Amino acid sequence: MEQLPLIILMLVVFFALLGSGLWVALSLLAAGMVAMGLFTSAPVGLVLATTVWGASNSWALAALPLFIWMGEILFRSRLSRDMFTGLAPWINWLPGRLLHVNVLGCGIFAAVSGSSAATAATIGKMSIPELSKRGYDETMTIGTLAGSGTLGLLIPPSIILIVYGVAIEESIARLFIAGILPGLLLVGLFMGYVAVWSLFNRDKMPPREPSVALWERIKLARNLLPVALIIFGIIGSIFAGWASPTDAASVGVALALLFSWLSGSLSWDTFIASLMGAMRTSCMIAFILAGAAFLTVAMGFTGIPRLLAAWIGGFDLSPAMLLFALTLFFILLGCFLDGISVVVLTTSIIQPMVEQAGIDRVWFGIFIVIVVEMAQITPPVGFNLFVLQGLTGKNILVVARAAFPFFLLLLVAVGLIVAFPEIVTYLPNRMTS
Amino acid sequence: MRRVLDSLYRFSGAAAAAFLLAICGIVLLQVGANMIDSAATLVIGEPIGLVVPSYSEFTGFFLVAASFLAMANALRSGSHIRVTLIIRGLAPGPRRWVELWCTAVGTAMSGYFAWYAVDMVIDAYRFNDVSAGIVAVPIWIPQSSMALGLVIFTIALADEFVTLLRGGTPHYEQGEHGDLSGPVPDDI
Repeated sequence: MEQLPLIILMLVVFFALLGSGLWVALSLLAAGMVAMGLFTSAPVGLVLATTVWGASNSWALAALPLFIWMGEILFRSRLSRDMFTGLAPWINWLPGRLLHVNVLGCGIFAAVSGSSAATAATIGKMSIPELSKRGYDETMTIGTLAGSGTLGLLIPPSIILIVYGVAIEESIARLFIAGILPGLLLVGLFMGYVAVWSLFNRDKMPPREPSVALWERIKLARNLLPVALIIFGIIGSIFAGWASPTDAASVGVALALLFSWLSGSLSWDTFIASLMGAMRTSCMIAFILAGAAFLTVAMGFTGIPRLLAAWIGGFDLSPAMLLFALTLFFILLGCFLDGISVVVLTTSIIQPMVEQAGIDRVWFGIFIVIVVEMAQITPPVGFNLFVLQGLTGKNILVVARAAFPFFLLLLVAVGLIVAFPEIVTYLPNRMTS
Repeated sequence: MRRVLDSLYRFSGAAAAAFLLAICGIVLLQVGANMIDSAATLVIGEPIGLVVPSYSEFTGFFLVAASFLAMANALRSGSHIRVTLIIRGLAPGPRRWVELWCTAVGTAMSGYFAWYAVDMVIDAYRFNDVSAGIVAVPIWIPQSSMALGLVIFTIALADEFVTLLRGGTPHYEQGEHGDLSGPVPDDI
């Protein structure tokens, strides 16, 4: 490995810039410039401009701002307000009772929003006061929110899967569909844990509430229904091959606007606020993607990813061992970096290694998203922990401890998709294209 | 001067938002055309062949404009993410030096990038490059949105650098309190 000094220099430059507070996108660009400027004779500025132009000018990527906008519209609608009252009467009979609102509410909200922090914040703002008023265990309330909030990353439409798909040029539709079963699996694991926990901790559970008549329940849930229809419409039309993710996203925006208008929560101000919010968030992500695209090209010029792949290949690791090592590496990286940055770094440097090991690209995308979900609830940098810290005023370590069982459940999910890859690949392989 | 710069960021942000709206509009038009075509296939047995000309290309061009024109605006609202884990605990004095370093490096890099983006536009103009789709668009037109966005981004970073030099707090810090739950401030 005569390239070793180069690799070390690059890593030092990248992490020093990141640590010094330079914006992530610019740090990615800088790492690429250093690699290219010092170790190749390619014209850096020219390659920079053309690469970024090529990477940003993409029809598939247009799904990203549209889905973000849809989430912003629904985030400002009555939906979040109605989530608690709408869901609570339906699940009162389950062991664990209203704690399931956190899991299911996050699961539903995850399907309209791509962000895990926004998911945990929206549901938490509603459910924390309600649950603590009724005397539910605080640790469990915090843990379920932190854990289920991460569903936002996996359940389609998922912003991070769009980023992954655009970066490795894989079909976003297939990635979305691949996320469905693992997402449901996680919802099941979380709800199962809540139920089992409540059976063993009966003394910590408040008394059951009187049940609500069926008609009353439906009335309370009336605002959840249109959103459920939007979600099924989007996922269904992508699965059936009627619409690309970009098409589905634009229809989603139109329906979200219609729904929000009909339910009386759409004003000129909320319209503009959602549009401006979407404009900024998608700009932030597009800029990181541009930085990553340039880093990928620069790395290609240096040949490092190929060498790395060959080097790792020389160890003759089994795919399971490789995945184990990568899981550790990503959890470590995720302690300091946000999920999207972890994904784009991976795709610039590790992807050739993964492909050489014969790992399916779509499967790997789901794998990395679940691992990134774990990173969202590990200190010191876990965005969901920050959100719950803000909502409850608890110390971040208390929040992290409450979230720990859910970290382990995510680990179980990773183990399950390694053991049974069909959980991921079954649905995408049945798609009509 | 302050007012001129603030309007520059506000207008570029509004333009970016308008392009985002345009993306949604053009994609919806195409979806509508597809639906009419499917209906036509059912009724008369063949599609009419309705398409928005060069629809996917225009979507891409609008996306570039939406992404790059938003950069300065997103910077000032604190939307561009960075790692504040280490610098968060610094005392105000050293923290100011760190922010000066970030904005200085940022200005230099963004300036370099903007320079080559402008260069790319000039080359495309000089060689009359056109896009490959049905509607042949001179490629320098969509490319110039990227160059313009980067120039404004460079100005915004330099603006923050000067603010720091004068002893002020950079505008982007107001949006990044680690509180990701609240909506970002809507004034710029």
